[in-house]
Amino acid sequence: MRYFDARVIENRSLGGGYFVLRLGGCESLTGSRPGQFVMLRGDWGRDPLLPRPLSLLSVAHEGRADLLVKVVGKGTALMERSPPGSRVSVLGPLGNGFPVPSADVADLLVAGGVGLPPLFMQAESAGRLGMANGSEMLYGARTSRDLVLLGEIRALGIALRLATEDGSLGRRGRVTDELEARLDHWRAAASPRRLRIMACGPREMLWAVGRIAQSCDIECYLSMEEQMACGIGVCLGCAVAARTRPYLYVCKHGPVFPAAEVMAYAPAASTSQSEGGAQ
Amino acid sequence: MTSSLDTREEEAPALHTTCGGIEFRNPVLTASGTFGYGEEFDALLSLRSLGGLVTKGISPQPRLGNPPPRICETAAGMLNSIGLENVGVEAFAREKLPFLRSCGTRVLVNFFGTTFDEYVDCGARLAALDGVDGLEMNVSCPNIKQGGIEFGRDPTVLGDLVKACRAVVRKPLWVKLTPNTSDIVSLARACADNGADAVSIINTITGMAIDVRTRRPKIATVFGGLSGPAIKPIALRMVHQVRREKIPIPICGIGGIQDGIDAIEFLLAGASCVQVGTQSFVDPASAERIVREIEEHCRAQGVSDVGELIGALETGK
Ligand SMILES: Cc1cc2nc3c(=O)[nH]c(=O)nc-3n(C[C@H](O)[C@H](O)[C@H](O)COP(=O)(O)OP(=O)(O)OC[C@H]3O[C@@H](n4cnc5c(N)ncnc54)[C@H](O)[C@@H]3O)c2cc1C
Ligand SMILES: Cc1cc2nc3c(=O)[nH]c(=O)nc-3n(C[C@H](O)[C@H](O)[C@H](O)COP(=O)(O)O)c2cc1C
Ligand code: FES
Repeated sequence: MRYFDARVIENRSLGGGYFVLRLGGCESLTGSRPGQFVMLRGDWGRDPLLPRPLSLLSVAHEGRADLLVKVVGKGTALMERSPPGSRVSVLGPLGNGFPVPSADVADLLVAGGVGLPPLFMQAESAGRLGMANGSEMLYGARTSRDLVLLGEIRALGIALRLATEDGSLGRRGRVTDELEARLDHWRAAASPRRLRIMACGPREMLWAVGRIAQSCDIECYLSMEEQMACGIGVCLGCAVAARTRPYLYVCKHGPVFPAAEVMAYAPAASTSQSEGGAQ
Repeated sequence: MTSSLDTREEEAPALHTTCGGIEFRNPVLTASGTFGYGEEFDALLSLRSLGGLVTKGISPQPRLGNPPPRICETAAGMLNSIGLENVGVEAFAREKLPFLRSCGTRVLVNFFGTTFDEYVDCGARLAALDGVDGLEMNVSCPNIKQGGIEFGRDPTVLGDLVKACRAVVRKPLWVKLTPNTSDIVSLARACADNGADAVSIINTITGMAIDVRTRRPKIATVFGGLSGPAIKPIALRMVHQVRREKIPIPICGIGGIQDGIDAIEFLLAGASCVQVGTQSFVDPASAERIVREIEEHCRAQGVSDVGELIGALETGK
């Protein structure tokens, strides 16, 4: 973990409030694991005050790092308007990351909305290990405008299945509907490989994925979000209720948790359909 | 030939300061709850460059803290309701202190209890530990035997508590005052009268924030402690009020310090040293930068000893 200055070298708008921030000067992030994140702050004075947690989308040679961001408030809006050359301060890599891909495991990567980055990086890392074709990505959001980087995902060599709540692209419905369908498929196919689920997205989606995994007794990892101030385990702000201790910290013990660790305190299944997609 | 200005620039201004029985290499400390147990920042700045650090508040037994969400950002600040979660005295001594002993800066341990006896017990045990340079009592903790009113709000209760702790703590004992009072001066006087070595001013200010969409408070406990630049004018005012009343113990100024100039404002208002809190989240290397900025200011202003600044406010009165 390092604290350093980086520069925006490219800021690519993807429409719908999504953009990819490409940073240079991030040599310290080399070797980061999928699921890890950074605390990022632009040169924007006192408001907003705290740095913002953002997952790594991709880390390449020569100190290049990509982030996928969605505008939801002040900080992300300022980032969207950062031109190439802007200075940002970066603290990272932070957190633990997803388990590494393995040849005897088929990973189902479930992304909801702007929860894509850690799973994109996981797929990229599977590709590098020559294991992308053994896994698949299920990616859901509210509308087709919220499904981004589709070409880039396909280029990683991973099978991609989409879901939108309005049916504008892929399956009409929630990404968890697609997950259930795929689990049926995998079980029918009686593959010799063990199934494993990794998910990142809105909290309602994570609980739904966790419940599905529990009901099928499948190993499952959820990447959680909480409000953060420090990102390094000192403010104790990012607590989540856990099974093995009263609280765990998203920035230090997570953001990736075994589902069983955090599911014990998930609310009971609700009938609300509204929060299955993008944030 | 060098001009007199050049000579002055070559001589580094003296930054060392003494506060509440402890000598510091410079007046910049880091505040409790915002700097963990020091170790977490070791890779991010030079701990040796700091005057000192104050640990997360320690209680006799480990504490679990409050349900989430525990923090939220507000205009130029943040609210927190961590619930004084900490590892407890024993684990602190076993797991955190070995690093602190060799970290190269002064170590103050912030502590609290939920009863009189807990305060005394905790203070005595911490003061006995090698590697602890001094203690800072957090008196913004609810007294569970007296309806949950904070110990630090009533000068009489506070005075008794300070006296009881003073009797068992043979190391420098500072008291960190709550700003949630209409009379900060009486609280400071109660500390001085009962043997405290210094007062730290201020802890967080009670506040709240609401999510209008869900109509819920943004933090689970409804109220939380406000910190950050938003509170600096209030903190400065309180430091100066205590200084003006000539309370005979020194002051450590805390509240919204972001840079060297902010720190110098506190020194001018009457603080002998300062603590940097929330700013360590904004920029984890800021405490070290603030030391440099104070030095630069002294050079630029021809101040040869930072002590010249303490209480040097000119009010024209
Ligand atoms: C570990 C981690 C990784 C993340 N990775 C990414 C990422 O790769 N890309 C991305 O776009 N976002 C990511 N986020 C979320 C991102 O941090 C927030 O969207 C951002 O902090 C909002 O800042 P803002 O100033 O724009 O919004 P604010 O003005 O602070 O808030 C605007 C709205 O967004 C909500 N909000 C604020 N913070 C969060 C949060 N942490 N989670 C959910 N809602 C929030 C607020 O409640 C409010 O309604 C991540 C969060 C965490 C904890
Ligand atoms: C997340 C957080 C945790 C804190 N924990 C403690 C604590 O354990 N004990 C204490 O005396 N003060 C605690 N404080 C208060 C700070 O030490 C400091 O007094 C306050 O934040 C004001 O300074 P600032 O504006 O520079 O942050 C905490 C503050 C924050 C933001
Ligand atoms: S963000 Fe501070 S402890 Fe996790």
